[in-house]
Amino acid sequence: MSWLEDLSGELYARGVTRRDRVRIVAELSDHIACEPGCEERLGDPRALATSFADELATAEARGSAFATFGALAVAAVALAVSLITLGRFAHYPGYSNGLSTALFFPALLGMVVAPQVALVAGTLAAWRALRRRWVTSLPAAEIALIHRRARVALAAGFATMAGVEFYVVDFSERLPAWWLGLAGGLAAAGGFGLWVAARTLARARTIVSGAAGPGGDIYDDLPVVGSGWLRARPWLLGALASLAVGLALGAFEAHAEHSVLEGIQRGLVEGLAAAIGFVLLGRAIGARPAGQSTDRGTSRSE
Amino acid sequence: MKADTLNGQLDPLILATVADEPTHGYAILQRLKERSSGAFDLAEGTIYPALHRLERDGLLRSAWSTGSGRRRRVYSLTRAGSSALEVRRREWRLFAHAVEAVMG
Repeated sequence: MSWLEDLSGELYARGVTRRDRVRIVAELSDHIACEPGCEERLGDPRALATSFADELATAEARGSAFATFGALAVAAVALAVSLITLGRFAHYPGYSNGLSTALFFPALLGMVVAPQVALVAGTLAAWRALRRRWVTSLPAAEIALIHRRARVALAAGFATMAGVEFYVVDFSERLPAWWLGLAGGLAAAGGFGLWVAARTLARARTIVSGAAGPGGDIYDDLPVVGSGWLRARPWLLGALASLAVGLALGAFEAHAEHSVLEGIQRGLVEGLAAAIGFVLLGRAIGARPAGQSTDRGTSRSE
Repeated sequence: MKADTLNGQLDPLILATVADEPTHGYAILQRLKERSSGAFDLAEGTIYPALHRLERDGLLRSAWSTGSGRRRRVYSLTRAGSSALEVRRREWRLFAHAVEAVMG
């Protein structure tokens, strides 16, 4: 097998796209043609392919994190416009006046809980990408963390847009047609943006990085909570975060509704939801330390 | 001079080499060797990931051309690349001056 064939095979094994492979092989082919027999000085094809893949995986992971954040921003605008116009011009119809509770509860979860998950995961993904923007080759474990955060954020974003659509259907007989069209259209547009970001993420995940090193966690991203003491007690972080969410949203509800009782109810529900989210998604988004992980990527042939 | 000695300096060296005129990978490498009187002894393949990275960062642009009957990728400096090169040149002169003052 020739040096170029070796290189092409190694690039394929690391998930480098066909377009990039063709370009890389053509450039190296031209190099060899300029000085026949120089293959040894070009270096080991496996090492060169690894170098390309590590840098591409890093760039694509960063790109997918920013694309995710951008798509979530569009989805957030869609949700905000829907809720603001609902409250100001279309009037909230009351949850018991919809077609079915089987539609209302998914809508409620999608419009209230999912956006918070999307905000946290999407911000953490984008922040890690931004914080490490000058690094040419991130460790495979860190790239995997960015991917997981982006994946959770996109899933929550889709759930949010689906929640709006559920709401539109549930109250299709109660709300004005203009609002149903506006909210339904905005949710569809938001969903399309998320789909584009999901494709970017899917492409990024095909490239296999082989760089060793720790993936890091939320304590690296947010130095304010990064004390060794708290890192050793991840469940305390979950409890404190849930308490903060419960207090903040409870106070907001109490102020908005002029009712302490409603504030307490909302605070309890939100705090509980945050705690459940921490348990279910904490490890995926690096909020719970994953230990001394130095995951290495696996090639296609492995 | 080994590749690890060049750590962090390969990118500006490539920019400086391409700044003269648009050219392809092999020629960039030859110019690097000529100008350094053969001091830069790096695995030749390492230049290509660097070229791709500089292009992704918007400091280089590239296009296919057909020279010597072959397809070859020719790189040229972008406006951002020119600015980045000037910054790195200033930084390097300051650094070299400081090292010279200490090392004698």
